[in-house]
Amino acid sequence: MKTQSSFAIHMLVVLAGCIVFSSGAWGQQSTAQLTLSLTVQSSIGLVFQNNVAVGSTGFCPLSNSGTNNVGLDLGTASFSGNSDSLACVAYARIGGATYQVSSAFDVLVTKANTSSPSYRLAAEISTAPPVNVKWLVNNTTLTNTAFTQLDAADFYGSLVTKTLQVQVKNNVAAGPLQETITFLATAN
Amino acid sequence: MMALLLSSTALLAQDTATGTINATLINKSGIAIVFDTDPGGVTLGNNGSSAATLNFGTISAFGPLSPGITRPTVLPASYTVKTLFDVQVIEGGLVTPSYTLSAQLAAAAPTGFTYAVDAVTLTTVAQTIQANGTYNTDVQHSLNLTVSTAAPGSGGPAVGIPLTSTINFTATSN
Repeated sequence: MKTQSSFAIHMLVVLAGCIVFSSGAWGQQSTAQLTLSLTVQSSIGLVFQNNVAVGSTGFCPLSNSGTNNVGLDLGTASFSGNSDSLACVAYARIGGATYQVSSAFDVLVTKANTSSPSYRLAAEISTAPPVNVKWLVNNTTLTNTAFTQLDAADFYGSLVTKTLQVQVKNNVAAGPLQETITFLATAN
Repeated sequence: MMALLLSSTALLAQDTATGTINATLINKSGIAIVFDTDPGGVTLGNNGSSAATLNFGTISAFGPLSPGITRPTVLPASYTVKTLFDVQVIEGGLVTPSYTLSAQLAAAAPTGFTYAVDAVTLTTVAQTIQANGTYNTDVQHSLNLTVSTAAPGSGGPAVGIPLTSTINFTATSN
């Protein structure tokens, strides 16, 4: 009986030795820590989008639509011709000596990590236009000296349709008219 | 007499002694993890160590980000910021061909955050990131933080407060 017991213990030791050897060759582990740090800041974003009616008169397509840096081609127009080269541009005479071309698009402002309920929208042109040329958004004349408020409280995530208008008197010299119009959304 | 003295000196100089060192060394096998800055990612603090830091800086859905940080997606309910980092598992004395890399958050993620390494979302339970990593070379991984766009107090993250989290990595030889 005693002999059997000793044998059993001996076998156990040998087996344990195998397990130790096995762990020495495989199953090695190492740990490491990567500590992250960051600070979240609330923010709002603005993008321009084509209006659902894009392509029809008064709704020209934006280039790079869906971003915050788009292009809008208003074609070639003249007072005497009483029209614009692009069918999507809305052309109109204003008074007896001025014509207007216009096209509408959408502005989408979204928010993140803020409880702001709404935003203000303003716009500014980059350079002073020639005399007798006006740049307007929704009938509000823009300047290059300050942002002009267009809306006091627009809702985030809702498309806001804006119409860009250019009014040109018939005594303005022929040539390209170009502006970069900056839209500014400010959280309320 | 002089001749005898010289002879005696010569005999003494021939005394020698020897010793033997019986040296033994147990070359123990092992592996170690270090984090290395990835050329396309943010510069790590304590680069090249097993206790590195990674600073995302100030993050937002629409604002500027620190160098090495990108923003792959901005969705209505969340946005993701991402950086790259390298993991190098160094082995010695092993004959195993590869290692398994796992990771877990040291504590639950702060409100409004989800952490992922590569495509694996992290929890406080270890998740396998890579099953067959190659030893002794930098292996690129991405760290993706998905942040809720909700306002603070409405399920979104705290704003304007520095947050820290720790990810524990474990490499196991295959």
